[in-house]
Amino acid sequence: MPETMNKLEDQYAAALLDSIRGIGESALQQAYELGRRALTEGLGVLDMAAMYHKALAAVLSLASTQEERTLMLRAAVSFFVESLSPFEMTHRGFRETNTALRRLNQTLEEESKRIAHALHDEAGQLLASVHLALEEVAGKLPPAREHLEKVKGLLDQIEGQLRRLSHELRPTILDDLGLLPALKFLAEGVAARTGLLITVEGEPEPSLSPLLETTLYRIVQEAFTNVTRHAKASQVSITIHRNPQSVRCSVRDNGVGFDVSTVLARTGGRGLGLIGIRERLNSLGGSFSILSNLGQGTELVITIPHMNPPEA
Amino acid sequence: MASETVVPINADVDVVVARQRGRELASELGFVPTDSTLIATAISELARNIVCYAKHGEILIKPVQSGDRVGIAVVARDKGPGIANISLAMQDGFTTSGGLGLGLPGVKRLVDEFHLVSNANSGTTVTIKKWKR
Repeated sequence: MPETMNKLEDQYAAALLDSIRGIGESALQQAYELGRRALTEGLGVLDMAAMYHKALAAVLSLASTQEERTLMLRAAVSFFVESLSPFEMTHRGFRETNTALRRLNQTLEEESKRIAHALHDEAGQLLASVHLALEEVAGKLPPAREHLEKVKGLLDQIEGQLRRLSHELRPTILDDLGLLPALKFLAEGVAARTGLLITVEGEPEPSLSPLLETTLYRIVQEAFTNVTRHAKASQVSITIHRNPQSVRCSVRDNGVGFDVSTVLARTGGRGLGLIGIRERLNSLGGSFSILSNLGQGTELVITIPHMNPPEA
Repeated sequence: MASETVVPINADVDVVVARQRGRELASELGFVPTDSTLIATAISELARNIVCYAKHGEILIKPVQSGDRVGIAVVARDKGPGIANISLAMQDGFTTSGGLGLGLPGVKRLVDEFHLVSNANSGTTVTIKKWKR
């Protein structure tokens, strides 16, 4: 990268000089091409600003009068804007993608809600009808009662599984009671299944936007999966804290921990479900960090701004 | 109203002429400078596509009007191999720009209207319009 940067810097300075000497459109085209190349080679907007700053300082030192300097500055600004326009294209694409991602997440949540409802209510009602029908059969065929009881036991298991599935798909408690009760309920389920000791703390009021609550819920759900799979922990604590501008959620366990940079470099976060977390957060302008060391547990910290990001 | 210009595109130097013409027309019509830059950017991308994929083509630049609005239309035409799969070409990262949102998808985001016609026998025509704000 530094070599690329140096080469680009030289070309940038030369083209800027051309543009100031009045070469006009062809210098601007060059500015554009340089910006485009910088972009494809992985440089960022700040690199461009630094490059511009350096080239400008060199060029301005050639001016002998204030008037000349003013003219140079005017030409330099057009040049700079031109070199940034490829980044504008990328930026617009990024915003568009984020909006699409947010809509997709919402659509998926809606779909989950619909399936959860179908599983819980509709399938639940059908099972209740089967129970009644079995009761009728038992009334008419007393010798079959014993077998029928077995069938009923199995039906109860199916009902329990359906309820759990439905809850995992879309916890109605999140819609009805809000994030904290939903997380506590989720934690109870995980604790019962895994034996982890889980605490959930946070201020219950005022509630956050539904999208934000859903996002945090899903991320904590993913984090529980990670802890269960990898951490060998006995305790997990979830803390949610609201700041004026953002909400911070921490998931901390007392498990074996890991060397963050090594694992992230090796897996790119794929194995840890971090891609899903990152995508959910990206669409809301949020971020996450992982603090962990071998033998010292792991903490996942999520920060999301309160205000919904502007529609692109 | 200003007239239309056709710039033949055969090499990189022609791109400069097309950009210049687009910028001049934008300023004649009273576009703000940042929008003039975006028009020049769009022309660069379209012309670059012609040079890279079709070798020869032309770019037509003209003022357009619709009700009270004035704007600029740019038509990039070539008789090159055409685009076999348009929806694929409109996906970010289809070409060497590698998912950076450059190329045709990038152009589409810079302008108000975007129209692409392409087939294997008659080459590719991209028409874009940007209205004055």
